[in-house]
Amino acid sequence: MELEQYLVDATMEVFASMISIDIAPEPKGGGLPAVAADISSLIGLAGDFKGFLAVHCPEPVALGITSAMLGMEVTAVDDEVKDALGEVANMVAGGLKIGVATEGKKIGLAIATTVVGKALRTGGLSGADRAAVAFATPLGRFGVEVRFVLS
Amino acid sequence: MAKNVLLVDDSSTMRKIISRSLRQAGLDFGEIYEAGDGQEALAMLEKEAIDIVLSDINMPNMNGIEFLREKANRPGIKDIPVFMISTETGEDIIGEAKSLGAIGALKKPFTPEKVNEVLGPLM
Repeated sequence: MELEQYLVDATMEVFASMISIDIAPEPKGGGLPAVAADISSLIGLAGDFKGFLAVHCPEPVALGITSAMLGMEVTAVDDEVKDALGEVANMVAGGLKIGVATEGKKIGLAIATTVVGKALRTGGLSGADRAAVAFATPLGRFGVEVRFVLS
Repeated sequence: MAKNVLLVDDSSTMRKIISRSLRQAGLDFGEIYEAGDGQEALAMLEKEAIDIVLSDINMPNMNGIEFLREKANRPGIKDIPVFMISTETGEDIIGEAKSLGAIGALKKPFTPEKVNEVLGPLM
């Protein structure tokens, strides 16, 4: 199962449809990409994949995404930025759900939660697998990852 | 006559995007009302003259399926059409929504062109 490709396809579709920022997936090198995040939006996964999907952004990228979604300049991290990033995670998770469904797997989606901090990192979920993709944008890099246990 | 629209989505960002997409699509509609979940939507339907509802499915407090089920039991509002706009596109959940009265579904993410194509005939 090419989870990274599903993440790429889902993220590219979200940006092509609703966020007018050019993005490109970074080539897969040795190891999983690390993205310095100030804002992370997480959405719980249930069903055949138990875990979460997360979108990690440094502040300039989060502000740019929110500005593009709202059609107005946003200059500070506020509830609108958290809401916008949550919706991005929700839509990417929806795309992942459609992707894995082609392989007979089902995912249930929870409500997104967004956290703000400095140098955020995700952890926990003992024994989980991880798939992650970093994307380049004119505003900087952001990352999408899924940590999951297959049931 | 232009129709009054109720947008139901827990994301204020998504409500703004849908509202903007309706305008960009050049559709003829009246007032746009907003609700953050199914409970708020029911209260809004009881209070305002709304002609069509565009509703998300995954929402806290009362989700889109629960909203459809509860609305179907309220004689004064049960016939107001509801169109789903959601990341949920599986046949099972959309089938359930339609069995509860939803008249169609649009997948997120979407473009203004898609909004025009899908929602234009309803306005």
